[in-house]
Amino acid sequence: MKKKILVTLLSVSMVMGMLAGCTQGGAADTAPAASEPAAAAEEVTEEAAPIEENSDAGDDVTITFMASQDWIQDAEMELGEKFTEETGIKVDYQIVPSDQYESLLMTKINAGECTDIFGGQSSQFSIVTQFDVEKNAVDLSGESWAGNVDPAAAVELSAGGKLYGQPIQDVSACWAVAYNISMFDELGLSIPTNYAEFCDVCEKIKAAGITPIYECVSDGWHHVCWTEAAVAATQADPSYPDKLNNNEATFEGNPELTTMFAQLKEMADKGYMGDNYMSNEYANAPASIASGEYAMVLYNQGLGAEVNAADPDFPVDNIGYFVNPLCDNQALNVNYCGPSRFIFSGSKNIDAAKKYLEFMASDESLAYMTENVGKFNQLPYSNAPSAYSSVVQDFYDRYPNKVAVFQASVKYYNPAWMDIGADMSAMFLDEMTPEEVLKDIDKLRAEQAAAASDPAWQ
Amino acid sequence: MNRNKIYPRYFALGALIIYFVFFFLPGLIGVGYSFTDWSAYSDELHYVGFENFKTVFSADENYMKIITNTLEFTLITTVLKNVIGLILALLLTKSIRLLNMHRGIVFMPSVLSTLIIGMIFKSILDPKSGLLNSFFRSVGLEMFAKKWLVTSELAFGSVMAVDIWRGVGYIMTILIAGILSISSDYYEAAAIDGAGGWKKFRYITLPLILPTLATTTVLNVIYGLKVFDMVYALTNGGPGKATTEVLYTAVFKKFGTGQYAVGTALSSVMFVIMIFVGAYMIRVMTKNEVVE
Repeated sequence: MKKKILVTLLSVSMVMGMLAGCTQGGAADTAPAASEPAAAAEEVTEEAAPIEENSDAGDDVTITFMASQDWIQDAEMELGEKFTEETGIKVDYQIVPSDQYESLLMTKINAGECTDIFGGQSSQFSIVTQFDVEKNAVDLSGESWAGNVDPAAAVELSAGGKLYGQPIQDVSACWAVAYNISMFDELGLSIPTNYAEFCDVCEKIKAAGITPIYECVSDGWHHVCWTEAAVAATQADPSYPDKLNNNEATFEGNPELTTMFAQLKEMADKGYMGDNYMSNEYANAPASIASGEYAMVLYNQGLGAEVNAADPDFPVDNIGYFVNPLCDNQALNVNYCGPSRFIFSGSKNIDAAKKYLEFMASDESLAYMTENVGKFNQLPYSNAPSAYSSVVQDFYDRYPNKVAVFQASVKYYNPAWMDIGADMSAMFLDEMTPEEVLKDIDKLRAEQAAAASDPAWQ
Repeated sequence: MNRNKIYPRYFALGALIIYFVFFFLPGLIGVGYSFTDWSAYSDELHYVGFENFKTVFSADENYMKIITNTLEFTLITTVLKNVIGLILALLLTKSIRLLNMHRGIVFMPSVLSTLIIGMIFKSILDPKSGLLNSFFRSVGLEMFAKKWLVTSELAFGSVMAVDIWRGVGYIMTILIAGILSISSDYYEAAAIDGAGGWKKFRYITLPLILPTLATTTVLNVIYGLKVFDMVYALTNGGPGKATTEVLYTAVFKKFGTGQYAVGTALSSVMFVIMIFVGAYMIRVMTKNEVVE
């Protein structure tokens, strides 16, 4: 009997010991993390203290920075090396394939195990509903560079009057159709001003044995950029975005949006995107345009330099631009949202991460990025230089009418971007109709709104 | 030492408590969460009954397709890995030159990271510049050059083919061990009785490696039901809405979008499926066991 009691006691004490051990470990792990936001808050209020004097940033610190493919440029990594030389803080860049990034980021954020800095799309709506920046990101309002951020871009990075992110890219650029100017000249083509003319241009290019459009569905996001032609719906009814935000209107049944998806499908079916648009990759777009195999690609205003980098014989100014002509759109689709850096509130290296952001927003770094990244013409900071070429300036001058895209004006649209991409991919494969895609967008938005307890959806 | 001594039941107490606390209880809590509206957007938790399960089984959603995909993947890869693994095991237990090299080559994919294999095959199966289609074109077999990973018809088959290629070496190795454990006396006796190769396989090899085959089947089924990385790396559930989506990629995406409750409901459905499949397999495997 004594033996039995002894064995039972031993078993219970062993289990208790293990549980106690786990608890202690957990407490030890979480305690510093929990105290970090408080420490960070103090940091902001004590802005007068020079950052160099922070004790936790130094030789043995490595900050992690996770972002989607194409968000971290080679130039940024070069600056990162310089940053390490100056501060001793190492930067571990974690670049994730774009089709997998959003799921991975959200899983990491929701699990409370995100990298010190994470890349995310700015948007005054989705940074709250999707990232919950007030909980998951560090307030950057007190940083020395915060006042330099372009007010239009800052709005998309702010919640409750506080700035939570730092823009990575040039948000003055918009997704427009970039075309090979000399190829257009040789074929006697002119810039189309509506969808019918655009189809005509595509037919002539196709007849010359060239694939008209380089499209890359496999990345999951690029083909969704064509939906920025939804500015046509805003032009037809300027109150439409507000109605969508108040749950008084739907995507389904909107004539402009239905036409937009139908035309996109038609472009694919007519072979304007070639045979491999489902497997093409965004990263290969400049090389594909340089090869002369393709004539156009939906891109931002920096393709010329990137094509030139892929093929030095291809002149930088041989790439021109015109607006996305779906739905006969002729307005410039502006979007002050773009990939941005956020510091994770659970990070143990908040000070070091802030130093990195400060370094990236310095005059020298912004000039270096503008000089070395072709698509960066005007980074959204007051201290960033401007580098618009005459071709790009001509493009902006040609379209004086500017309309905000849905990512910026419609709630729960941006967070559904990759799902919309999957729906559109299904549409290209004849698994869904344009009407079904629109219906699904309404459903995706409703799901997000319900999860966020949006009163308009109650 | 008394060999017939039966140890008291409380000896299992420690293991049972650990198993209960670290395995059973979290599973149970997970099932519990599937009856709530748990999400990343709210700190509050409400009981919603079978709402999440209604969503999972709703005709408007494609979760049923995801469950079917998972079961289809499990069935096809299990059968093919076993059959091909067995054929390779039979071939590589003969006296052939460079035997170990052949075994090593077939086994090698199993030791590579699934994600790396996925990335490599994404490139190999690229319709335009991939190695496979380039090979077909170079030998005049243009008609076999297909869009492997980007069409509804071929994508799932391609994913399964890559997974079979990766996993067959592992199954082969286990089966080789099973075949080599069969005494050569049986084969000699059968040869004296005039049995040919097929009869030796049918009446000696197959019955004696059935327990090994049962083991490989269990391993394959468990792997198939839980497959994630191969699908994630090759197609991430696409092309289209859910052509190659399986349960774990769907659960991962649901957690990614903060819809935890639906994610746990999906996991719970998977749990029930696994219980039935597991119970059935244990029953089949223990059918011929002698109970002392």
